[in-house]
Order: sequence, then structure tokens, then C-alpha cells
Amino acid sequence: MDAAIAFLISPPAVLLISLLFEGIDRKIHARMQKRIGPPVTQPFYDLIKLFSKERIVPITASARVFETMPMIAAAVSLLGASILLSNILSGSSVIGDLILVMYLLAMSSVALMIGGSASGNPYGVVGFSRKMSMMIAYEIPMFIAIISVAFGSSPSLAINNIIRFQISLGLPLAASRPSMALAAATFLLCMPAAASVVPFDIPEAKTEIIYGFLIEYGGPYLALAKIAKAVSNFALTLLASAVFLYVPLLLGENVLLNLGISLSLCLIESLLIMFVTITVPRTVLARLKIGQAFKFYWMLPLILSISSIILSSVGL
Amino acid sequence: MKSPWIFHLNTGSCNGCDIEIVAAFTPRYDLERFGCLLVGSPRHADVLLVTGPVTRQMLPRLIRVYEQIPEPKVVVAVGTCASSGSPFLGSEMVEGPVDRIIPVDAYIVGCPPRPEAIARGIIMAVMSKFR
Ligand code: SF4
Repeated sequence: MDAAIAFLISPPAVLLISLLFEGIDRKIHARMQKRIGPPVTQPFYDLIKLFSKERIVPITASARVFETMPMIAAAVSLLGASILLSNILSGSSVIGDLILVMYLLAMSSVALMIGGSASGNPYGVVGFSRKMSMMIAYEIPMFIAIISVAFGSSPSLAINNIIRFQISLGLPLAASRPSMALAAATFLLCMPAAASVVPFDIPEAKTEIIYGFLIEYGGPYLALAKIAKAVSNFALTLLASAVFLYVPLLLGENVLLNLGISLSLCLIESLLIMFVTITVPRTVLARLKIGQAFKFYWMLPLILSISSIILSSVGL
Repeated sequence: MKSPWIFHLNTGSCNGCDIEIVAAFTPRYDLERFGCLLVGSPRHADVLLVTGPVTRQMLPRLIRVYEQIPEPKVVVAVGTCASSGSPFLGSEMVEGPVDRIIPVDAYIVGCPPRPEAIARGIIMAVMSKFR
């Protein structure tokens, strides 16, 4: 597909798919608790409702920052996800690489944090500081995993070069060498924290600090924050499935040449990744304390990612 | 409207009604299948569930929480206390019932009302307000 067309159709497609993913996640979550659960289209209803509600800016907030930050968060995460999807769609790496995508996704949570802490609500500030420590905990192993991908894949950070490298190997990256398997494991372990779901929803802990930095956001602002979150969750799962576990190549040439089939395989795989790394933990586990989460991330994933870098630098 | 988000305010209730509200979200009754969510911040809410007869201490808080909810909003009085003041009516310490203070869209009577009744009350209030 032409790169320009791919980049044009990506943002609406990303929005649609990520909201659908969130709906599926909520449905599975409910079924696992033996509930009927909301319809799969529920996130769309939520957004329509939120956009039609009154806008309230608290008097304690610094209005400019409070108002603009959700827009920046939504725009930035939409951009990151569309770069990823359009790279896969067009089959050529014209715009952006892995670092840019990761940066844009991190940027969207930073924007929400800043907006929330500008609300003047003490819970917003608590959420800000907690999110800050959580980001230090999970972003470092996550970025090390991404960097070790660059070492491992005939040095490249462009998403399409990595996919092509996997095709030329005939194996998903995670299965190609031990170092890449470790990097993939690190990335998947960091997913629940990046998506900030239970057990790592410490910055937003609903029953504890009442959504943290989202507490004062209502109506359209909340809708934008929800879009930012859904889209960046989707982008992370798509990234994991395209970069670490590109399965369509296992089914041979015909599948690879057919864009529709390989893309839908990729999406089904990201749905599976979402089920394993987001839905299951948030259903079966309970929230950790910030110290425990920090300890977890600086023990297992950090060690895994550093050993992945060491292994890949000695050529394993 | 297909996603009424609910904020629950206890204005001096004995906790009986509050437990029944939570029971309406359990797997047996599952209010979330109508898109309802129990949210923690009034800014996110569409429906205000008030329980209890509104004590003097809670009066300014009730008004404040009501005003913090963005329009359009629905108020549902849950329990006999909130609907009519019932055994506490005429007490020195009680300013209620709720409809003396803020406009109420639906009353759910019962001490405490059953979760089915709460679910029905919420859905009916939402439907009548947003049609
Ligand atoms: S109606 Fe009954 S259960 Fe509900 S708050 Fe009043 S006394 Fe308690």
C-alpha cells in the first residue's frame, strides 16, 4: 500500500480497533468473573456520552495546562499508534522508528500526569508522583529491551526492517536467539505497568486515590484521556506482536503477500497478547504497593533486559 | 443513554443501602451489563445515588457533590431514609429527605431496597431523563 494512503487511514483505524479491543477486554474480564458484562461496543457509548457532557474546569486548576494536556495526550498516542500501523500497512519504513513510537507513547502518559497535577487536587498530585516512580520502574527495562532488539536485528530500529529481518530468518524475533527471547519477555512483563492495570494501577488506584491524576477530569477531557489510554494500550500490544512475535511469516509466502490476512493475523495475535498481559492480570491479581512494584520491576525485568543486552553483544 | 456512571454518596445512612448498592454490581445482578460503572469521583459521574436521611453535617457536602457532577445528571434517592426521611423525620440533626435539598429523579423505597429494585430505579431514572 502507498505510504501516504496508509498514513491517512491509520488514525481512524487505530481509534476504532483500540476501542474495540478495550470492549473485548471488558467483556472477557466480566466473563471471567461470571458476569454478563457490558456489550463489546461499550467504550463507544462511553465516549459518545462523555463528549456530550458539560466541561468543568476547577477554579483551583491552572486552566490552560489542565485543558490542553488531554488533547496532547490523545493526539500523541494516536500519532504513535498510527506510525506503527502505517509502517506495517505500507511495508516501507518512511516515517518514524521504534524509539519514536515508544517516546510518543510515554509522552502521552506524561501529558496526562502534568494535566492531572495542574488540577489543584491533592489526589492528582499524589497520582503524579506515583506515576513518576512507576515510569522510572518500568520504562527503563522496557527501553533496554527495545535497544537490545536494535542490536539483535541486523542493527536496525525501523519497524519494517525488523519485520523483514524476521521474514528473512523465517522465525519470529523472540524465537531467533536467547537474547531476543529475554527482550520479548521483558517487554511483555512491562506491559501491565505501561497499561497501568491491576496489579500495577498504583497511580490511578480507584479505591485508594480515586483515579489519581484523572480525578478532576470530566466530560470531553475524560473522553480524551480514555482515548489516549486505549490507543496506547493497543499500540503496545501491536508493537509486541509485530516486533517480537511476527507470526504471519510462519504460514508461508502466500500469507505474507496478502496484506489483509497478515494484518488480521497480527491483530488477532495482539488480542491474545492483550488477553495474557492485561486482562488476566487485572482479573486475577490484587493491587501491589508502590515499593513492591518497584522492587518487582528492578529485580526480574531489569535483570532480564540487561542479560539480554549482554547476550546480544556477545552474539547470542 | 447507554453508559450511566454512578457516584454513590452516603449522607448518614446506616450502611444497609450502601451494601445493597454494591450487591447490585456483583455477578448475580451485574449492573455493568447496562454500561453502569461505580466511579469514585463526582466529575466522572452521571447518576448520583444518595442514601441516608441527610444529616446536618452532610448537607453542605451533598450540595457540593451535586454541583460537582457535570450536566446532564440524574439523582436517585435509595432507601426509605433518603426518600422520605422515615424514622428520622423531624429529628434535630436531620435536614432531609433528599428532595428538600436537591431535585430527585427517582425514589427507590425499601429498608434496604433489593438490588433488583436499585437496578430498575437507576435504569428508569436514566431512561426518563434522557428520552
Ligand atoms: S433505608 Fe434502611 S437500610 Fe437504608 S439507610 Fe435507611 S435505615 Fe439504613
